[in-house]
Amino acid sequence: MAVVAEPTRRGRRSGPQARREARIGLLFVLPCFLLFLAFRFGPGVAGVLMSFTDYSLTGGGSFIGLDNFTRLWEDPLFWQALKVTVLYTVLAVPGTLIASVSLALITRRAFRGARFFRSVFFLPVVTSLVLAATVFVWIFSTGGPWSTLMGWLGFSEGSWLSDDLLVLPALAIVGVWSRFGYGMLILLARMQDIPRELEEAALTDGAGPWQRFRFIVLPQLRPALFFLAVIETTASFQVFDAVYTMTGGGPANASYTLVFQLYDAGFKYFDLGYASAIGVALFVLTVVVAVIQRLVIGKDQ
Amino acid sequence: MTAAPAETPVADPPAPAPLAPDRAARRAERRLRKQAEQDSVPHGMRATPAGRIARGALLTVAAIVTVFPFYAMVVLSLKPSAAVEFPGSLLPWPVTGEAYDSVMNAQDVPRWLFNTVIYSVVSVVGVLLLASLAGYAFAKKRFPGREAMFWSFLSMVMVPYHVTMIPTFAMIAKMGGVDTYWGMIVPTLANAQAVFLMRQFIQGLPDELFEAARLDGCSEWQIFYRIVLPLLKPILATLGVFVFLWHWNDFLWPLIIGQSTDMRTLTVGIASLQQQNVPLNVVLSGSVIAFVPIFAAYLVGQRYFTEGVTASGIKG
Repeated sequence: MAVVAEPTRRGRRSGPQARREARIGLLFVLPCFLLFLAFRFGPGVAGVLMSFTDYSLTGGGSFIGLDNFTRLWEDPLFWQALKVTVLYTVLAVPGTLIASVSLALITRRAFRGARFFRSVFFLPVVTSLVLAATVFVWIFSTGGPWSTLMGWLGFSEGSWLSDDLLVLPALAIVGVWSRFGYGMLILLARMQDIPRELEEAALTDGAGPWQRFRFIVLPQLRPALFFLAVIETTASFQVFDAVYTMTGGGPANASYTLVFQLYDAGFKYFDLGYASAIGVALFVLTVVVAVIQRLVIGKDQ
Repeated sequence: MTAAPAETPVADPPAPAPLAPDRAARRAERRLRKQAEQDSVPHGMRATPAGRIARGALLTVAAIVTVFPFYAMVVLSLKPSAAVEFPGSLLPWPVTGEAYDSVMNAQDVPRWLFNTVIYSVVSVVGVLLLASLAGYAFAKKRFPGREAMFWSFLSMVMVPYHVTMIPTFAMIAKMGGVDTYWGMIVPTLANAQAVFLMRQFIQGLPDELFEAARLDGCSEWQIFYRIVLPLLKPILATLGVFVFLWHWNDFLWPLIIGQSTDMRTLTVGIASLQQQNVPLNVVLSGSVIAFVPIFAAYLVGQRYFTEGVTASGIKG
């Protein structure tokens, strides 16, 4: 069978059979590809081009060179948004990674109820942050569960969402809550692939749990951790849903993120050229951070 | 290796229903596998009794923290509006359907629910159909431009959605698609991740199957419809659940494209309720209504979820 199949396949490269196959292939791909061209590839290129224009929904649309970017550079709101976005990321990403690693380690081995716990931890991942935000606003409100808990611990009972120093930690808590289950699942899958002999050998050499984690498991998890760090950083840079519903960027722009500014510029002021420039800045920032992460976490791959 | 647990339900299926013995067998097999896995863990690596208690305690605390917002959402939505003060409000009584009555009657929630269903269901059908066709062609057909097309798909995964969103909106607006279903749905049908996943899966299917069907005189459409699609069932289920939830939960795109009250989706509508002075229990009852299908999809598709995430790293 294989002997016969091989020459036929090669023979099909030219001739009516090959033409028929090419026609069918194109026919099957084209609906998807044309949509992709129209709504992803085209707009991707257009987004970059638009950042060099003053395109607005109310008219205009001429080439203005780097004006949008110099304007961005001089816009204090942009720097505020950048600062907020980076701070949020610095809080949310390590938090998510630590929670993911811890829970993956705990639920790693088969035990009664392991699947149940894993499913519970994954539930926030599939839940819309807009829906969760309606409860979290109540949880963080003055007199709500969180501020009451803080009062018991001896801190102020005020609402974290209306405190310009605490609003980002509050949003980061929501971010960690909504994302750690995803990281946990990725890490669990990776842990299944770690050869058990490695740990058993370490065990016979007298390595304790911490040493086994530090010298056996953690190095093996490195690629997965790198993948997660990139995914989570990208997601944090794009934080919007929770900010929009929980704080509206406030108080006093203390939670005003880059995507929030992009949304404001584009759909409140209809300044699409400027909004595109913010999008490009976001893109550049994402790439820069991914490269840095590659250098720091993924250096020996 | 210890034997299977004493009374395995395989031997004597309780009901003659066709699925029951199958399910029981699978359960028994799973139990066996778990047992074997546990037995192969060396003693030093097994949890000690104290370790087991610590693990249980930690997991219980983590689970309570994780579930608390869902619990609060449901319980508070069943309260009369005056009774949402913490901490007394966390007990599941007194219970009324007051908030649900007002959200279903006075607000636009039924319409938003309808919009969300249209947005999610049509997108799922469209994405699955387009992606399976394209994935099949990318995996099994040779045609000019195949590599170039595939790489252009791949390259766009890196570009943040927000860069493409603005020109897409401008284009849809020019075409009169603002506040229409097609304007909301059509741009989301080009889903590169779905195509990758399909291609990857179809590449693993044996060519002989298609050859045999071809020799039997099947047309290409028949091969796709009768051979490829049935084989794709597991991956279609996985991807279908994911795409459904992506769209059900989607926020920014519906927010900018559905500008009138009538064209909001549930997420956009609930966010707008949140910003008006709507009582908390009413907003939360809207959240519960939007959450029920998510929860149902999660329960039904849980297996697909865990497998899908771990196999492909699809974004949740």
